[in-house]
Amino acid sequence: MAHVSTTTLPPKRRSFNELLSTDLRALPIVIGLVALWIFFASQSDVFLTPRNLSNLLVQSTVVGIMALGLMFVLLVKEIDLSVAAINGVTSVLMAKLIVEFGFSPWISVPIAILLGAGIGSLSARWVTFVGVPSFVVTLGLGLALNGLQLILLPETARYSLNGTGLERIALTNISGSWAWIVLFIGLAAFAALIISEVAGRRKAGLETALVQAVVLPMAAATVFGIIVVMILTAHQGIPLVLLIFAVLLGIGGYILRETQFGLFLYAVGNNDEAARRSGVNVARIKMAAFAIAGGVAALAGIIAASRTLGVGVFSGGGVGGGTLLLESIAAAVIGGVSLFGGRGSIHAALLGALVIGTVSNGLNLMGVENEIRLIVTGLLLVLAVSIDKLIEKTTGQQSF
Amino acid sequence: MAALTAEQQRTVAPVGGTPLISMRNIQKHFGSLHALRGASVDVHAGEVVALVGDNGAGKSTLVKVMAGVHAADSGDYLFEGKPVRVNTPTDATRLGIQTVYQDLALCHNLDAVQNLFLGRELTGSPWGGRRIRRAESEVRAREVLTRMRLGGMSLTRPVGAMSGGQRQNIAIARSILWTPKVVILDEPTAALSHSAAESVATLIRTLADQGLGIVVVSHDIHHFVVNSTDRIEVMRLGANVASFKSSEVTGEQVVNAMVGGNEGVNLAG
Ligand SMILES: Nc1ncnc2c1ncn2[C@@H]1O[C@H](COP(=O)(O)OP(=O)(O)O)[C@@H](O)[C@H]1O
Ligand SMILES: [Mg+2]
Repeated sequence: MAHVSTTTLPPKRRSFNELLSTDLRALPIVIGLVALWIFFASQSDVFLTPRNLSNLLVQSTVVGIMALGLMFVLLVKEIDLSVAAINGVTSVLMAKLIVEFGFSPWISVPIAILLGAGIGSLSARWVTFVGVPSFVVTLGLGLALNGLQLILLPETARYSLNGTGLERIALTNISGSWAWIVLFIGLAAFAALIISEVAGRRKAGLETALVQAVVLPMAAATVFGIIVVMILTAHQGIPLVLLIFAVLLGIGGYILRETQFGLFLYAVGNNDEAARRSGVNVARIKMAAFAIAGGVAALAGIIAASRTLGVGVFSGGGVGGGTLLLESIAAAVIGGVSLFGGRGSIHAALLGALVIGTVSNGLNLMGVENEIRLIVTGLLLVLAVSIDKLIEKTTGQQSF
Repeated sequence: MAALTAEQQRTVAPVGGTPLISMRNIQKHFGSLHALRGASVDVHAGEVVALVGDNGAGKSTLVKVMAGVHAADSGDYLFEGKPVRVNTPTDATRLGIQTVYQDLALCHNLDAVQNLFLGRELTGSPWGGRRIRRAESEVRAREVLTRMRLGGMSLTRPVGAMSGGQRQNIAIARSILWTPKVVILDEPTAALSHSAAESVATLIRTLADQGLGIVVVSHDIHHFVVNSTDRIEVMRLGANVASFKSSEVTGEQVVNAMVGGNEGVNLAG
């Protein structure tokens, strides 16, 4: 967890290696993303239009949200291969409740999310108490949920959600001055967070450079936010779906960076025996991680259902999870979450999903076939992990 | 009985005053294996006691009984002169007994502060999701490290990027963060280079000078044990076979006692 680090009492400058191993870990992926954007901008006049960029962001949200949830499980050195199936089965159940049983979306949406969290914690229980590796438990569970999804579907194999009110999630855009108000609220929350941190340091008598700790991050966030909102409002405004993703990123980042639970996730992922001996309830932390992944996957399923105006066999990536499962895992890993536990920051979900969304969107604009898209995404995944390994080697930190 | 033998073979009386910990005639079986046959050890405030002996002599078992990891089958466990029951690690922690295990139990992806406080974080209210009070933690960590003369250690570097000696020091710092009375160290210098072992030895002395009682299991007889401890308890086959004042003994003599080159030990017990 990278805390503002102007603090070591004999103020030492941190070496480049040290920076690379913490704060700058995201640098290669950001550079890669910029390179992709430059490439696609040179290949297609449409790529950098507000309309396309807005689409690209929206197209990246479902995978991004899935990756965000999955991160929690990856951090504790487990994997959940059932997230796509949870995404599918909970959204189908939600649609069934709305269409067949006349439930309000306001009730069926929370039910779906809670069910997702419940399924997640169930696999965690299985993993921690029975001791079966999580990839086996969740692989099997995923297939079982796929079967359940098919059973829940009607003869027509599809529930339309058109006119149920649920489609509004995908159709709502926050435009005009509201978009700027939303940005302002987000920036204010960020400011409150970093200012409270600096205030805490001052109170504790620690030297903190205001420029580095407050001004620079605030300026960066403001410039970044203004650019994004300008692009989005030039098209239709901030899509609600994107706002949901942004809020989840904010909450997730706070949990991982600031809270005790977040710290425990990293501790358990790196050395569960050490965590246990320190009094951390490892089984409970893992259960919470799986529950978060499941609940978040269900939420992503609801958003996907809203975007496609219905659910069907295809929901949750279809049987076996399809590209949805693979892209969710790939997004987290490309973004810098280690499959070996204990490493990864919240921006991984965003950056990884953007890389995958960009490749898909860009190649689509170039008229390249779907097959090629899969090949490119696959190669990028291997490349990203290789770069990561290389950094680990040069900074001499194979241990995490 | 082995216990009698052990008592008879004491060559020096322990230093005066009520010991912080006094373990007498401790018996411990693992199934049919008789691991401790009346082992005894005293730890006084301000002294460093070395536990030495060949592999399988029962050193680790004895310190685990002391730390509450194993419950003794029989024997007396006095803490500050009063009989106590130490059946779990929590019992020991409550008395003020901290243990640094050989594997250190550190999380390599976390920094020094996070490792020092792991499981005992200073946090805010549940409403803020138990936000970690990082600034206060850093100040506390810096205080402890300074007291250990490790003031220059980075607080923000992941422990995995540190040297073995620094990691050992962090593990020791973690054990004294909550101001214990006794610190038990199992093989603290085993995996370290010579200079790193020296710095850990200095640290151990610093802590003893501040009034802690320290128990160290060590194989490093010729350097660490004879130079950096106050008293040496030699164990063989689950019992004490000799006890020395570190300043009055050579490494040779200690090793002889370990391998049983001197008087016969009654193992019939
Ligand atoms: N948990 C255990 N279960 C069974 N036997 C054990 C256990 N721990 C130690 N022993 C046995 O007890 C004896 C003493 O071991 P130990 O205390 O580890 O010796 P030392 O630390 O002096 O090398 C050995 O014979 C060892 O095999
Ligand atoms: Mg041992």
